[in-house]
Amino acid sequence: MKRLLRGALHQGVRLFGTALAVALAVTLVSGTFILTDTVDGAFRRASADAGGASDLIIRSTAHFAAQGNSLPEREPVPESLVARVAAIPGVKSAWAAIQGYAELIDKQGKAIQAKGLPTVGSSVTPDVALASGRPPAGPDEIAIDIETARQHGLVLGDKIKVLFSGTTQEFTIGGLLQAAGDVVASTKAIFDSVTAQRVLGVQGQVDAIPVKAEPGLSPEELRTRINAALPDEYEAVTTKQVAAESAESWTKSVAFLPTALLLFAAVALLVGAFIICNTFSILVGQRARELALLRSLGASRAQLTASVLCEAIAVGVVGSLAGVLAGFGAARGLLALFGAMGYELPATGAVFLPRTAVVAVIVGVAVTVLAAVPPARRATKAEPVGVLRGTAGARTGSAARPRLIVGTGLGAAGLATLLTGVLGGGSRPIVAVGLGAAGLLAGLFVLLPLVAQPAAFLLGSPLVRFMGEPGFLGRENAMRSPRRTASTAAALMIGIGLIGVVAILAASVKESASRTVDDSLRADFVLTPTGLGGAVSGVPPVVVDRLRKTPALATVSEIRGGQWGLDGRTQTLLAVDPRTVTAMHEVDAGSAAAVARLDDSGVIVRDTVAERYGWAVGDKVPMTFAKTGTRQMKLQGVFSSTAVRTDFVITLGAYKANYAQIFALEVDVALAPGVTPAAGRAAIEEALADYPVVKVMDHAEVLAAADDQVDRLLVPVTALLALSVLIALLGIANTLALSISERTREVGLLRALGMARTQLRSMIRSEAAIIAGLGGALGVVVALFFGWALVRSMGTLGVTELVFPFGQLAGLALLATVAGVLAAILPARKAASLEVLKAISSDR
Amino acid sequence: MAMLMRAEPPATEPALHLVDPGPAAKATNAVKLYGDADTSVRALDGVDVEFQTGRFTAIMGPSGSGKSTLLHCLAGLDSLTSGSISIGSTILGTLRERQLTRLRRDRIGFIFQAFNLLPTLTAAENITLPLALAGRKPDQAWFDKVVDVVGLRQRLHHRPAELSGGQQQRVAAARALVSRPEIILADEPTGNLDSKAGGELLAFMRRAVDGFGQTIVMVTHDPVAASYADRIVFLADGKVVDEMFEPTAERAIDHMKQLGG
Repeated sequence: MKRLLRGALHQGVRLFGTALAVALAVTLVSGTFILTDTVDGAFRRASADAGGASDLIIRSTAHFAAQGNSLPEREPVPESLVARVAAIPGVKSAWAAIQGYAELIDKQGKAIQAKGLPTVGSSVTPDVALASGRPPAGPDEIAIDIETARQHGLVLGDKIKVLFSGTTQEFTIGGLLQAAGDVVASTKAIFDSVTAQRVLGVQGQVDAIPVKAEPGLSPEELRTRINAALPDEYEAVTTKQVAAESAESWTKSVAFLPTALLLFAAVALLVGAFIICNTFSILVGQRARELALLRSLGASRAQLTASVLCEAIAVGVVGSLAGVLAGFGAARGLLALFGAMGYELPATGAVFLPRTAVVAVIVGVAVTVLAAVPPARRATKAEPVGVLRGTAGARTGSAARPRLIVGTGLGAAGLATLLTGVLGGGSRPIVAVGLGAAGLLAGLFVLLPLVAQPAAFLLGSPLVRFMGEPGFLGRENAMRSPRRTASTAAALMIGIGLIGVVAILAASVKESASRTVDDSLRADFVLTPTGLGGAVSGVPPVVVDRLRKTPALATVSEIRGGQWGLDGRTQTLLAVDPRTVTAMHEVDAGSAAAVARLDDSGVIVRDTVAERYGWAVGDKVPMTFAKTGTRQMKLQGVFSSTAVRTDFVITLGAYKANYAQIFALEVDVALAPGVTPAAGRAAIEEALADYPVVKVMDHAEVLAAADDQVDRLLVPVTALLALSVLIALLGIANTLALSISERTREVGLLRALGMARTQLRSMIRSEAAIIAGLGGALGVVVALFFGWALVRSMGTLGVTELVFPFGQLAGLALLATVAGVLAAILPARKAASLEVLKAISSDR
Repeated sequence: MAMLMRAEPPATEPALHLVDPGPAAKATNAVKLYGDADTSVRALDGVDVEFQTGRFTAIMGPSGSGKSTLLHCLAGLDSLTSGSISIGSTILGTLRERQLTRLRRDRIGFIFQAFNLLPTLTAAENITLPLALAGRKPDQAWFDKVVDVVGLRQRLHHRPAELSGGQQQRVAAARALVSRPEIILADEPTGNLDSKAGGELLAFMRRAVDGFGQTIVMVTHDPVAASYADRIVFLADGKVVDEMFEPTAERAIDHMKQLGG
């Protein structure tokens, strides 16, 4: 065994490329975990810090926990309850807590929205920590966080305008809050209790009542006591639990992240597996004689396989460990990527759990070993004597018939599954398309070695024409081992194919959005919040009121959005004004009729969703709202229009009855007859003059915003897929380097016969160009087909148009080819530096 | 095999000297040291030898006599420590790497002991490889003649793996001839062949000299092979120790015995 391992050590240098491929693939795994743990840790720490002053919090009971909601989506609590709670034995102190929308306006008249988040306004707490100044007192004093003050050049004594959901008011900055080390760096504004009630909430009502227990009394015990004393509509919970709930809700709202990232990691690992498999094939192929000799000396097949797998384990461990370390960098990079996407994630100190290393190493080693199994088996299967005597053939074929059968079978099964998805069979078309695509790809991988030779011949012909003999020799080399060429190209195909699919999807989504705007948008202007829309911010009601009073506008139609629960699962809905919405967004006749029938007691549902749940018009849909609990809403119609961006629609009246939220996601307006667009915009902007939290968009601007949203997603997704392309390019460099060392004698012969160094380099670059070109071309073909299937299966999601960005796709294939040639620079240089005499007398 | 770009002009020396041929290649006081100053081995220790144009010369000598080193230095694959080597009127020591490469391509033909051919290329493609590297088209009549002389007409589209050892060496010989080099250097060309295949190859080389006026220098340790040559140069300990004209195998064997080879 020792002797066998020495063979492995000898290969150390050659395995470097493989280890690097493993490391790159594992980097994303480890980076994902580090990122997730860091974000998780930040949420947890922030919620643990949140306690402080109070032990318990009394609030009204909620029926459904909306996700990612920092403000309680609950009924307020009457202020009179504060005194009642304070009187309960064991309560040391109890006070009113009020939170609400309070948008700070900077000196330039712009809303201060750090990372698109609005300012959270709240009432002062007994434990408020100030960096300077004093706690706010009186009707026009405010304390803001020191970070915001610093960024916007505000100091104690400055005046600042604050925009509330109903009014605006100017305050004097009386205090600066210490940096709280918050999870999400939001801007904070604090008012005294009375002022807070006036500007943020409702007179006589508060959002929650924090309670401090008498010393020696546990929060849990006091909780039991208070809950016994209060009616059921109120609940006392420990501050710790509230913090945990909020952390959990945040974690849930970003829960898709690790899943999505691990998908990209899986792609990278798959690509890595190809490279590993390839490298090991070459390495054991080169050692075939050595292995055969060992066998004929009595080593068992199992021993030899084990020796190769030991090598794989060593490479896997080394690569994975490097990948784990690189994960720290990757986590940073991912944070930046998500920042670019508009997801601001908290990142205070990377959190590294042992689990990260364990999982990453296990995954890395498992992939390496699994990828090394086929070559190990193949190498040790050969008859010892045959190999010892055998002469290396010019071209190695591969068992064509079984390959053809297996590949065609897999491909056909995949195609069938994919087509059911595209043709609309089944409830989850995208899942069918995904599974089908996986099957098709697997079939393609199996079949690829069969077509690699003719494909390389065709792709290489321009090279032969323009590069002469070096191009010809490069093409011959690319064709000599179809399996090697195929798997190297396949690795590149995956990355290029996925980037291509994403490009097709993005182009199609943009075109669909543009078509929707053209076909459906009838509003003259669309108003949306400048920051992130949602539960805690949006177009404030006061703006809607002002717009309604603007004579230039004939119609003002408000759309709100919210979360609700169906059998414990979070759903979304839109709330509209049935009388005006279809005049702003034109939909098909059936959908319009459903909207027309909608009243405050009902809901209308997307036809496919109604079908899935087996609901018929007239049935009751049990909708659970956080504020009001479960309501039986009457199903008043079904719609099919893809212009509606959700599956459930209720009226604004029903919304106001069941939600505490007051902001609009979007306000659509139509101009009064005779008002020009320019005059209309001027009128709207005048109405919004004091409210810099809303932006006005005409059709072109709506489209630009939609495109911008797509692009913001496109960049990080492409960047993540580019990692796979990078691994594949590394594979090309590695394969070439190994091939060259395998053909040292040939290189020597060519040089002896008068091949110039430049010719030698261009021969190797030609081979690389053919392999990379094959990968790129196949990637584009794959992208065209899968892009078609994916887009066609997303009709109900609003992706109605199919667009092939041919220019981009061609550029992608070209880029892959060029990158492949660049990847060949080092191997080519290495080959050119071989000493002719040494090379020609080498033993291979 | 029509791949003609970047055609470089062939090196200028004419292939055949019809008047006063003079030596095709010459080594003058050639010294080659291997290793450090202390542990150096004198592979060539002052070799003076001329190889006549249109003649077939064999170099014989015991192992370590420096015969392979001499051949490599003649080919510009290795460089001398001192002294000089010239091909025609070109002194190799003055050439740069790029010029040496071109010299090998245009003016020298090679036959190695084994692994002469690129496994991916057919016999025909292997034969024309040096010409293709130079971006030149083979002279079709000459190509046909060479192919017929070596008897490879039926094997032109086979790859090396499909050819016998003797056929592979004949492909190498055809390759060496087809570009009409000034000199063919052969390094134990029959070393891996049985006596019949070896005999065929040597007969062909003989014919190339007699029929086409080709110059050949062949390193061998086989007296039978050497007997095909016009002249044998004997090397021992890096020096030319003797030569023999119109050799026979028996005389060569006797002579080698004297050298202790």
